[in-house]
Amino acid sequence: MGAFEYRQAEEIRNAFSRHAVRYLFIGKSGAILLGFPDTTQDTDLFVDRSPENCRAAVAALGELGFDLSDAQTAEIERGKDFIQLKNGPFDLDLIFAPDGIERFDDAWQRRVEVEGFPVCHPDDIIASKAAANRTRDRESLPRLRSFREYWLRRRRRED
Amino acid sequence: MDIRSTPKGTESTGGGQIPPEWLEEFEAAARRPLRERFRYAFIKTYKPVMDDADYRSFESMAEYRRWCEENLPDWLGYGRV
Repeated sequence: MGAFEYRQAEEIRNAFSRHAVRYLFIGKSGAILLGFPDTTQDTDLFVDRSPENCRAAVAALGELGFDLSDAQTAEIERGKDFIQLKNGPFDLDLIFAPDGIERFDDAWQRRVEVEGFPVCHPDDIIASKAAANRTRDRESLPRLRSFREYWLRRRRRED
Repeated sequence: MDIRSTPKGTESTGGGQIPPEWLEEFEAAARRPLRERFRYAFIKTYKPVMDDADYRSFESMAEYRRWCEENLPDWLGYGRV
């Protein structure tokens, strides 16, 4: 399997939109959508864990080509905290309860739209990485915090 | 995994100071279309253990973090500080 491509992000956006799934790009993939120049291997989606939304996510994932067993479908519908999918056209992490963010609705209110992609606000991306407190997050946080400053200044200029 | 260190003389950017070399990178990225940024940003290399199953799920993030620490090589960087 190759690296995640823009057209695959579009496929997620379009399939999730057709099924009215509430989700946000989070983690470094979210930061990259906001303009953060860095590299990642992961595509992380923060998904609202309401039962209706989880069922819609399963339908969208099936449409995208993820081969989900009945047990896997049930786990997604239940909104287990963290689900790692490598059984589809691209790798995808579904996060229903990211560290550092209390409620999906809060992050949804703060979301940023980039070319139709719903993305977590930089503050939420930073909060989740800071709370995860992994070696890899600690390494990227200073640069991510600088990017947040840049992004906010740029946004103020554009408003 | 990419490892970047804080440039000399900039301990924290909480107060708004952006290291000049990072600022240049941010501005250069902002000039590129998103589709092009994707090409440079998303990479794929084999991650031992992590990539050896086509599905995993965890009841809690704490359980996931614990699994990472107990099963993944340290150099992947998934261990907690």
